Amino acid sequence: MTNPNDPKGSPLAEELGRLVQALAAAGKTILPGSADALLSSIVEAAARIFGAAAASILLVNEAEGVLVFKVAYGASDRDLVGTSIPINQGIAGYVAMSGQPIAISDVAQDTRFNRDFARSTGYVPRSILATPLLAGERVLGVMEVLDKINAPSFGMQEMELLGLFARQAALAIDQAQNTENLSEAIVLSLKRLAASDAEHPADNLLAALEAKPEAGSQNDLMKLAAILQEFSRMGEAERAMVLKILTDFAEYSQNQRRLNVGADWR
Amino acid sequence: MSEEDQILPAYSQPFLPAAIRELTSSGPLSGITPEWAWGGSTGNGVKVAVVDTGIEYDHPAVGGQVCGGVNIEWDETVKEKLRYEPVEHPNDLAGHGTACAGIIHKIAPEAKLYSVRVLGTSMNGRAYQFAAGVDWSVENGMDVVNLSLSTARQDYFAMFHALTDDAYFKNILLVSSASNFNEPSFPSLYSSVFSVASHAGRDPFTYYYNPTPPVEFGAPGIDLRVAWKDHGYVIATGNSFAAPHIAGIVTLIRAKHPELTPFQIKSILWACAANVRRV
Repeated sequence: MTNPNDPKGSPLAEELGRLVQALAAAGKTILPGSADALLSSIVEAAARIFGAAAASILLVNEAEGVLVFKVAYGASDRDLVGTSIPINQGIAGYVAMSGQPIAISDVAQDTRFNRDFARSTGYVPRSILATPLLAGERVLGVMEVLDKINAPSFGMQEMELLGLFARQAALAIDQAQNTENLSEAIVLSLKRLAASDAEHPADNLLAALEAKPEAGSQNDLMKLAAILQEFSRMGEAERAMVLKILTDFAEYSQNQRRLNVGADWR
Repeated sequence: MSEEDQILPAYSQPFLPAAIRELTSSGPLSGITPEWAWGGSTGNGVKVAVVDTGIEYDHPAVGGQVCGGVNIEWDETVKEKLRYEPVEHPNDLAGHGTACAGIIHKIAPEAKLYSVRVLGTSMNGRAYQFAAGVDWSVENGMDVVNLSLSTARQDYFAMFHALTDDAYFKNILLVSSASNFNEPSFPSLYSSVFSVASHAGRDPFTYYYNPTPPVEFGAPGIDLRVAWKDHGYVIATGNSFAAPHIAGIVTLIRAKHPELTPFQIKSILWACAANVRRV
């Protein structure tokens, strides 16, 4: 809640600061890409459809020259997420470098491959099908399915099909990255605007934009965003009910706020 | 899955057993046989560039035939944005280039191999590194160039078209793999290259001609045992591994008939394809 008596900031500045935070949360709500849930469901679906024991998505971090595990399904998935491997090495690395898919099996013959992969993932697959996540020709990352069940290797048909899955995942990731860029761009232009107006110094605004969101309130916002996203998957009757409850609560809280503000003014 | 049941990506569809069209070769052309074309040839005297992730020079699969090469890096700090680093003993970042070189060496054991490394950590300059690799091969006296990589970006259509025509007019044989996705990719769709997709067979000398281009040749590319990084081997699938089979065969033809030009060699490949019957 805005407290107009707070000597540290102006209500407008705080309001703008909060708006920027809310924008990030809104991105999480409306864009499935921000929610790792969508990517998780894509890798899980891919693993099931291709009869694979495991599947994962790695994203390019060009500045550090690595591929970072974003989501994983199946064997050793818990530990994998967040770990990284060099971008120019191994099968995922080749796919990121070339922008083309590849199917490899019988990797157990290759002792070095075995050792390296095991060290980075704690898991040694027998067969791998890896395909690039492309936004135009830009490689965003790599999607891979591991260990074909009931067959020694993944086939060429699966190679083309996995490409279709990867296209969905790439779209989601690209959108999410664009929203992040959008939030950053808005903050940046607001800051420039504030700094350029010498007649009306806007130190409060700058401070509000630079302030790190309070962890608690940010978490709450994100939780709220996740719940809103959950609503989108509900039936019509449930949605109508939830909407009614939320509208009523919003109305109630606005009335309360008006009363409080009124009290301050007196 | 049997060979008959396979479904292949778009560019490999014409090479499914049920889809292969039987063609005939008649008149004087019917006198062209594989025995005449490459019988007894080892690729001796022919220089073959592999534009890829590099070649592991001491991998047993390349039999000591790697004679050097170049690493081409994208470098924002230099004016031309490209840095050329000649290498005497090339290495391979991933294993893919060694796999291609190993296939060529198996078919043409006495051909000299050159590693042209154009794939690296840079995501920005890939197409330009690739183009520079083709150009380097043309300018450094290569006879055959294996291109198991491509770009799908329309912006580069003209650049690669000019490069591959230049190579063609300079009597250089460019062998290019088709994309594994159903998308146009360059330079595999130009008539100045030998464009290759996969068939499901294993015999390295069995290839097919597709009378409905752009992809004209189908060679083995599915579940092949290929050389990989650090003296290793893996089983691999992709059009990447089909192209070096054709590169190996044209290397044999170039060694045995050095007077023949790219279009003549393409005609000979057609005449000797497994689906062309001599009458």
